[in-house]
Amino acid sequence: MTQFLSLAVGGLFLGAIYALVALGFVTIFRATGVINFAQGSVLLVGAYLIGRLHDPIGFWPAVLVAIAAAALISLLVDALLIRRVRAADLGTLAILTLGVDILLSTEMTREIGTDVIGVGAPWGADVVELAGIRVPASRVIAGAVALVLVAALAAAVKLTDWGVAMRSAAEDGETAGLMGIRLNRVAAGAWALAGVLAAIGGLFLASFPAAGVTPGLGLVALAAIPAVVLGGFDSPGGAVVGGLIIGVVSVLCAGYQDELSFLGRGIGTVAPYVVMLLVLLVRPSGLFGTRELTRV
Amino acid sequence: MSRRWYAITTVVLALAVGACGKGSDDGGDSSGGVKTGPGTTADTITLGYLPDLSGVFAPNGKSMMEGAKLYWDAKNEAGGICGRKVELKTQDTGYDPQKAVAAYQQISGDVVGLGLVLGSSITSALLPSVKQEDMFLNFAGWTSDILPNENVAIAGTTYDIEAINAIDFLMREHGLKAGGTVGHLYFEGDYGENALQGSKYAADKHDLKIVEQKITPADTDMTGAVAAFRRAGVKAILFSAAPPQAASLAGVATSQKLDVPIVANGPGWTPQLLTTPAAGALAKRYYVVSSMAPLNDESEGVQKFLAAYEQAYPKGTPSSNGSLYAYAGAQIADAALTKACENKDLTRKGVLDALHSLTALDTGGTIAGKLDFSDPSQPPSRLVYTARVRKDAPGGLAVIGEPGTSDDAESYQFGGS
Amino acid sequence: MSRAPRAAVAVGVVVVVAALPLYLESFWLQTALFSMGAIVAAIGLTLLVGIAGQLSLAHAFFVAVGAYGYAFLAGTEAAGEDGPAGLGLPPLLALVGAVALAGVAGALFSPISGRVRGIYLGLASLGLVFLGQHVLQNATSVTGGYEGVAVEPFGLAGFGFSDSDPDLTIFDVPYGRLERLWYLGAVLVALAVWYGRNLVRSRPGRALATVRDGEIAAAVHGIDVVRYKAAAFTVSSMYAGLGGVLTALAFGRIVPESFGFLLSIDFLVMVVIGGAGSVGGAAAGAVFVTALPLVLNHYSGSLPLLAEPGGGGIGASEASRFVYGAAIVAVLLFARDGLSGLVRRSQSREVKESLI
Repeated sequence: MTQFLSLAVGGLFLGAIYALVALGFVTIFRATGVINFAQGSVLLVGAYLIGRLHDPIGFWPAVLVAIAAAALISLLVDALLIRRVRAADLGTLAILTLGVDILLSTEMTREIGTDVIGVGAPWGADVVELAGIRVPASRVIAGAVALVLVAALAAAVKLTDWGVAMRSAAEDGETAGLMGIRLNRVAAGAWALAGVLAAIGGLFLASFPAAGVTPGLGLVALAAIPAVVLGGFDSPGGAVVGGLIIGVVSVLCAGYQDELSFLGRGIGTVAPYVVMLLVLLVRPSGLFGTRELTRV
Repeated sequence: MSRRWYAITTVVLALAVGACGKGSDDGGDSSGGVKTGPGTTADTITLGYLPDLSGVFAPNGKSMMEGAKLYWDAKNEAGGICGRKVELKTQDTGYDPQKAVAAYQQISGDVVGLGLVLGSSITSALLPSVKQEDMFLNFAGWTSDILPNENVAIAGTTYDIEAINAIDFLMREHGLKAGGTVGHLYFEGDYGENALQGSKYAADKHDLKIVEQKITPADTDMTGAVAAFRRAGVKAILFSAAPPQAASLAGVATSQKLDVPIVANGPGWTPQLLTTPAAGALAKRYYVVSSMAPLNDESEGVQKFLAAYEQAYPKGTPSSNGSLYAYAGAQIADAALTKACENKDLTRKGVLDALHSLTALDTGGTIAGKLDFSDPSQPPSRLVYTARVRKDAPGGLAVIGEPGTSDDAESYQFGGS
Repeated sequence: MSRAPRAAVAVGVVVVVAALPLYLESFWLQTALFSMGAIVAAIGLTLLVGIAGQLSLAHAFFVAVGAYGYAFLAGTEAAGEDGPAGLGLPPLLALVGAVALAGVAGALFSPISGRVRGIYLGLASLGLVFLGQHVLQNATSVTGGYEGVAVEPFGLAGFGFSDSDPDLTIFDVPYGRLERLWYLGAVLVALAVWYGRNLVRSRPGRALATVRDGEIAAAVHGIDVVRYKAAAFTVSSMYAGLGGVLTALAFGRIVPESFGFLLSIDFLVMVVIGGAGSVGGAAAGAVFVTALPLVLNHYSGSLPLLAEPGGGGIGASEASRFVYGAAIVAVLLFARDGLSGLVRRSQSREVKESLI
């Protein structure tokens, strides 16, 4: 039983990180209707910068630089590229971000090369004990950070002007524009925010118990996609729930590999997608996505 | 489509057709009494190299090319092979079978054999053509799944033999007893699953239980695996994956108080691991079993390699399964080509036959043991080096004792997969 | 344009295509064969995405079904020797069977494709690719697992499409496996293009376009939306299956890694760059995506800037990734509806200019 609890708790904390990455996807989609395939390489850039800079300028300054850089890159993708083709269809926009992703990740792979770059976090490989379950300190901190960020975001969206602007732009862009809402500003804010979330997610994904920053880190953002889909693409709450579910599912499946070996080995990778498909069969727009009600 | 497009298309096609004429075949003829064929002339011998320089294994690939250049540059300076200079034709496969096949098509006409092919899915994709062309292929990998094979040369022994020897090492030196449980963390694919065959065989022989954890290169967090190992009460862990996973495994195991020895196959180590936070944990409990020599080994071949490497690449980092591997592979190719020249037959078949006639090739210690290529269904050796992690040793590994092998490893039969 | 010159040009094209293997070296033939497989599969996807309006990331899965289906149906190895057992069917039958299998797989996906829409469908289909990888790696007795499986050479009525079965020399050029497969590929591509074009203009094609433009409106018009979406997936996956067979034959041996997520993305790129809904565009996109890295690698020795493999700096593969990424961005920024959109616009400009 403790084994199950330990895995489940570990999965929840991992899920919190996935939730952050998933939130990035959802934020961009709600504000501008784009699936941002470049999220993964922005994550990688953020983690990489922390890895390379924590020695010369210290950990916390490095984190700040990384967050700023990720936000900037994300913003530039929107301002320079997406803005020109806002009216294009979903597939075109998605592939456009894919092109950016290819450029960024190729350059990152070149830079990282053989190295496994540690992020130099002050909590290192420390372990905390919660009711008999040992959890890496980095994961607990990740969970706490995720909680704070999600709460802050929820509050901001509800209460601030920018939040209201974003919600109305998401509901009906044309009308919002007619009402005087600067759509470009809203978009820029959303993309920058997604960059911030990606960088933070990257920091925690590259921390212990992972080895450090490797080129494969960009692919982890891919693992957040089932989370976004099953939560509902335009629902931030869905992204969080989806992230947690996916985190728990992958860790449980990896931990119980032996018992589940009749399903084939290595189901930890494919289980999130199966869960996603199952959810979609029952709720075609994800758990919390806006349902299109059409009856003809 | 408008008439203009048709016209343009036809013109372009005509130009292309004119530009790429089919090359004429290099027929076999004699030069100085030695039969030559594609890839060999009176003054040159051309070898094909197909590493991965931009894909998943790019760091290994680049390191390997350093080792290859090191060997052949020195050899050419010393006069080459029977008066002929050795040239390399290198193509990047990007670890993509499609690219690999196209790259192979590009160089196959001009080379006498393949001095290096990285990756068993790549090698698999090329085998039908390589077989047809009678070329030898130096396989930059150590899986026995590729055996039996007339054309493939493995530099040392295979992952399953390494795993058997790893279990033997644990039983001899780390108190692993019959009835105990061993965890095996392995990659999906030819590398990990081949090692697993070995560990299962040894476990069978000694009444041990193996707890399997299969992962993919994308998995960087070993928490779930360590939890499973702890639950099963493993006394040791076998590791058949890559360095990032090694760092995670060592770190998580330490944090979860699973203080057991970890024994890895050759590819599980890279000197860069000493710069990660897991370095301390690795130095305490990580061992490597491989037929490639640790770089602090005192044998003549290894020291010669190390000296040459440090001179040619003062800023580089030598590695056992990167630059040293390619260097050793070149030694094998050199031996085969030299023998072929002695037999006055430098055709592809001639070189292949010469390779199979080598029964006691001594690489000076870069590969454990003397290599016997006469039986295509066996790897050329069953000996391995055992090493521990040591921060100040070149390449980060310090050899333990002499290369050897266990009785189980000697008696192991390759059943194919 | 009048009949006679058109026919003459068509004949010219056929003659050139038939004669090309006499001149192309094996690298170019190999690259061309891979491109042909990609073209066939890409046409299927452009029909699905452009005409039926269904975003799909599952294409690599159906390509894999075709490739592995052919290998299994045509394979003659006994179980356990060199890989999994095959059924030993005649190659042509195996080809048809593999295409049918892929179509069935596409039809089976219809419960999901019927209920799930738009972006959810696109990303749900991604799940198929990962599921496919899992099955390919684990169902060792059928797929050979990670070791992959050898692909039986094609053959028609005793005439083998491998290097020497029978030996064949035309105009002094030895006709090996690649040369012979060229013709099979050319025929299949021609069929795929012709059928695709017809489908776009036919009634079902227009019905699909109506579904794409508005499912509710289409339903109001009495179009059975669910059935049409299912049919679109089926046709598209049959195309993918055929492309898979051709790719498998071009390889000679297939492994699971070739049919992963990256391949699905590649197909989507081909379609979007070419212009969704355009058969010619899909073909152009397919050639671009498939051949670019291979060609750049080929010329890496002679292009300046590019480092030789084994040296430092930017290698050919990295350069080709950069060019690939930059090209995607450039095409989509300046030609939102892909290359075919560019062509259409320049043609209509021609017409406008000629009218002035």
